[in-house]
Amino acid sequence: MEEEVKIAKVQRIEGVRGRRLGFLTFWVMLVLAVINFAPTVCPAAALVNGATPEKTDRETPSFRRDVMPVFFRAGCNQGGCHGAARGKDGFMLSLFGYDAPGDYFRLTQEFVGRRVNIAAPEQSLVLLKATGTVPHTGGEVFTVNSPHYQTLLSWIRAGAKDDSASVPEPISIALEPKSIVFDGERKPVSTKVIAKYSDGSERDVTTLALFSSNNPAAAKVDESGAVTPKGRGDTSVFARFNRFTIGAEVIVLPEGKEFVWPNPVPQNAIDQAVYRRLEQLRILPSVACDDATFVRRIFLDLTGSLPTRSEAEGFLADPAPEKRSKLIDQLLSSQGFTDMWTNLWAEWVRIKGGGYAPSATDVKAADAYYEWIREQIASNRPWNEFVADQITASGSNLTHGPSNLFTMLVHDVKVTPKSLASDFSQLFTGVRIQCAECHNHPFDRWTMNDYYGWVSFFTGIRRKQGVEPREFYVFNDLAAPVARHLVDDRPMPATVLGGEHPVPTGGDPRKALADWLTAGENPLFARNFVNRFWAQLMGRGIVEPVDDMRVSNPPTNGPLLDALAKRFVESGFNLRALLKDILESNTYQASAASNPSNAEDTRQFSRAQLRRLRAEVLLDAIVKATDGERGFSYFPKGTSAVQQYPRSPGDTTRLTAGDSFFETFGRTARQSVCACDTKTESTLSQTLHLVAGDTVLNQIRAGRVLERGLGQKVAPEALLEDLFLRTLSRKPTAVENTQLAAIVSSAEGKPELVYQDIFWSLLNSSEFIFNH
Amino acid sequence: MHSKRTAPLEPATSEQGCGGFLQMRMHRREAMRVGFCSALGLSMSDLFRIQAQAALDPASFKEGKARSVIHLHLPGAMAQQESWDPKPEAPSEYRGAFGVAKTVQGDIFSENFARLAKVSDKINVVRSVVGKIPDHSQATYHLFTGYTPTTVIDYPQMGSVVSHLLGQRGELPPYIAIPSLNGFSGGTGYLSSSVGAFQLNADPGAAGEFKVRDMTIPTDVVPAQLERRNHARQIIEGQMRKLDADTDKLDTMDGFYRSAFSLLTSEGARRAFELGEESEATRDLYGRGYKLKQNAPAAVGERLLLARRLVESGVRFVTVNYGSWDSHVDIKGTCNEMMPALDHAIAGLVTDLDQRGLLDSTLVMVTTEFGRTPKVNSSNGRDHWARVYSMLLAGGGLTRGQIYGASDATSSEPARDAVPLEDFLSTVYHQLGIDSTVRLPAFGGTRPIDIVKGGKPVKGLIA
Repeated sequence: MEEEVKIAKVQRIEGVRGRRLGFLTFWVMLVLAVINFAPTVCPAAALVNGATPEKTDRETPSFRRDVMPVFFRAGCNQGGCHGAARGKDGFMLSLFGYDAPGDYFRLTQEFVGRRVNIAAPEQSLVLLKATGTVPHTGGEVFTVNSPHYQTLLSWIRAGAKDDSASVPEPISIALEPKSIVFDGERKPVSTKVIAKYSDGSERDVTTLALFSSNNPAAAKVDESGAVTPKGRGDTSVFARFNRFTIGAEVIVLPEGKEFVWPNPVPQNAIDQAVYRRLEQLRILPSVACDDATFVRRIFLDLTGSLPTRSEAEGFLADPAPEKRSKLIDQLLSSQGFTDMWTNLWAEWVRIKGGGYAPSATDVKAADAYYEWIREQIASNRPWNEFVADQITASGSNLTHGPSNLFTMLVHDVKVTPKSLASDFSQLFTGVRIQCAECHNHPFDRWTMNDYYGWVSFFTGIRRKQGVEPREFYVFNDLAAPVARHLVDDRPMPATVLGGEHPVPTGGDPRKALADWLTAGENPLFARNFVNRFWAQLMGRGIVEPVDDMRVSNPPTNGPLLDALAKRFVESGFNLRALLKDILESNTYQASAASNPSNAEDTRQFSRAQLRRLRAEVLLDAIVKATDGERGFSYFPKGTSAVQQYPRSPGDTTRLTAGDSFFETFGRTARQSVCACDTKTESTLSQTLHLVAGDTVLNQIRAGRVLERGLGQKVAPEALLEDLFLRTLSRKPTAVENTQLAAIVSSAEGKPELVYQDIFWSLLNSSEFIFNH
Repeated sequence: MHSKRTAPLEPATSEQGCGGFLQMRMHRREAMRVGFCSALGLSMSDLFRIQAQAALDPASFKEGKARSVIHLHLPGAMAQQESWDPKPEAPSEYRGAFGVAKTVQGDIFSENFARLAKVSDKINVVRSVVGKIPDHSQATYHLFTGYTPTTVIDYPQMGSVVSHLLGQRGELPPYIAIPSLNGFSGGTGYLSSSVGAFQLNADPGAAGEFKVRDMTIPTDVVPAQLERRNHARQIIEGQMRKLDADTDKLDTMDGFYRSAFSLLTSEGARRAFELGEESEATRDLYGRGYKLKQNAPAAVGERLLLARRLVESGVRFVTVNYGSWDSHVDIKGTCNEMMPALDHAIAGLVTDLDQRGLLDSTLVMVTTEFGRTPKVNSSNGRDHWARVYSMLLAGGGLTRGQIYGASDATSSEPARDAVPLEDFLSTVYHQLGIDSTVRLPAFGGTRPIDIVKGGKPVKGLIA
């Protein structure tokens, strides 16, 4: 056996090239690395007492149906063990079993008579290793008496035969119960995993499934599927079997606390969904925010801009009971709204304008795209049509704006179908499909078939030089070959995610892609976008991060996400109608002030969160509050930060956000479609910049607000009030008035300086820097 | 509190933050800071209490032998074969293009590290580091945080954990990145953003004047104004404080304003960034004038020299980045371009620290997110390899002159004394006086999380 180990080692070192699957490039490793749990040592999967043998209904175990699940459950084929791209200690299994024929080959043919020994089944290395009888890096994985061992042994005894083609495949799995609530009782609850097969049969695969919990502080799940409550909170537990992952919601209620739900009146379906969840979790929602908070919050969220003094005052003074609704309508139809939401879309599709002609991202192209987006947002174009137009766009990058989806997502001379494929799925569905390039997605439903079928939508995307160097025509070459499957190299015609059949051939497959994507029945599209819109208004997605939607990252409130998606579809994908619903809800209008039950809540929308303003919004806020002016390179005077996008005379590949303020405050440089590129954490560098940098002081000086006020001999109280309304959209409190007036009156030297300091303090206050 | 200081600079104020002014000659800047503290409405006893909490939460500890860490990271993964674990006897396709240099103890480094070989009695090389994932982004995160990335919990970087537990010493922020953080390396994770690295976003080795942005008060702002601004700011903060919501975010902001004012008003803080105060001999010790492609300065010497100055001023953790080591193609070219400056700079740093008596209290670690494949590939490069690779540890109460662990004949697997990355990190934590099995309270204290899960300090490396 010692010798076998040596041989295996040498073989691995000699390189896997040339063997089956040996052509996996380092990309495999890259993507493999996405798998989160890859322990150095394979955990010995302890067997559950009293587990039923896997094989009950047939004489001989089937390789796919019975043997491969043992490798899955015992952890043999996970990323840290033999499922690694190059296997482990000379033996490779496909990660989580995506390649059954390959695994069969490596088990039985690669070293005939060693790993599997038909002549002396008990001497098969696979059994000796797994039971720890011979040295095994992964230790003892199961015992001789375990059903797993028996399954493998019976299979080998029966000749270790490969399956005939007709083995039923699992088509879905179910986890029961679907939801568990621990209220008082702290005893474990057992769960059951049932797999459905393509022949209609069902099977209890609990002993072959793997379990995990998203938040073990709330509840743990053991290998047998038993869920034990740990502490107050909610989580999901997941079962994985074959290529499926399924979750069940678990809620652990606090012990022994009196709880009275005050029955707040929901404004609409959004509040209903939020309240249902809060009642369940015994969290009370915060009260409504005051008018001053509301006017500032909604201006910043919808228009990316502070209300002016007169806008704030007008709203505060308005006695109409419906004034919040009125303001919502007014802002939804404002120019500022169009600017801000154009900015968001431009960021998502990575608009940057350069001067390096071959990459097709010239400033003129960027402008064409930008203007086109503006028009769509301004006219409230139905979101499905808005997106479909871009996905199916062909034509000149300079004159047909939406065709730049295929230049801006690329920023390169060469169009790579795989990167378009992953960007499209991340952007338009919130799904990160990249994992499935090299193996079936381990924590989601996506398979390699899905991936390569999806890539084939983009294999024909070409750009042809136009009449001038900057111009390129985007088109889809229908004669281009489709993508080929990594494992068996078979051609994979264009197929939508989760689709059973390729889309019809003939026309541009992007049309079929757009039809499928934007159809009302497609939950991926509506859920993705409502979640992104929600995150812009609430500071956090119902699924977070917004571009990582998967079975194992469930929404914190599923019914809420569904209700929003339903509303969006029913409204005809009407952006403003959907936003109006959200803005009208008590949930959006809640105060940030906490109560004892919701102080720690950051995920269930029981109160408003303090959100640091996005970089461009903060800069505009400083400029607007001071009546200042801030120019941007390559943009005309008067351009706001929200209207600005990265421009340069050169290449756009590595172009930065274009202003050091943006870099310091985390505006994305649009290097990828990842939502994570926009950062809103606070840092010391940001504070240093606001304290000692050129922005705040220069703007205060440029705007001359203080000179004008002092020149007109405005009373000190009136000047203070003006500064407060400009910055915080509210009047100073009595305490603030007294204390700040004391500072003013005790100041020596020029009065302008002391007001400058107060102005500075307002612009440096948390109330200014955060939306609240 | 820590009276033993060897810094040639003006001593850092003290552990008590503002309280330390009492021990110092008062001059205008200091007097201003006093005013600043009182403007925050903090009494001296408050400050002591806050300091005490910072030091005791969550685990009480004694300061370890290492008082500071200089962490030089080589992003992109430097090859062990071309650095500190050459395999001259392996077949040529494993061996690579370079010869060897003998170390003081008679072991060998690659000839690319001839200078370092001459001071090998001051350092340790760990040749048996074992990582998990040969992917840059995941492995870098793993190296900096001790955990592979998950979607549920974001883990803090080591520098942030150190800042959180040990707090600020002196006037500079406890955790500084020169010139900036690696984009893959994570951030403050579940800890408050107040313990994030202060990124200079300026390179002391770049051509032209080195100036950290926004580190000087505009000339026409007088000191009295700064004090007044803070006073006014505190008055305005009252309204947000009334909400009793997200107080950690507000505390973080207040902390940043305190740090910012301290940085801006302190002469010591300003001087810590002045490389011009170093002698020509010292600057030469770290190597000067090395150029990379397109004639860009290598800059690693200046970055490490600045790191030493910052450590002298009390900074707990300095992270330095150098180079781009992902040599899938023409590894020989990569090494020839970037290694001479690196060799010179590390050897210089270790020598300088030792001469100043700082090596025992300063732990130097040189890391890379993984190693490179045993065989040279068809493009004369090496690909990713996380099963075994080499990293460097020196000072901070560790042994000296040790080659710890070994890889096998082809540098494919550890041959003995394998050091999982978790153990490597636990060793560094241990030297700082931090038990890495201690759990930090995450998510408002609802969820305790191990600093490093499953890591044990490597006894053989501890002096």
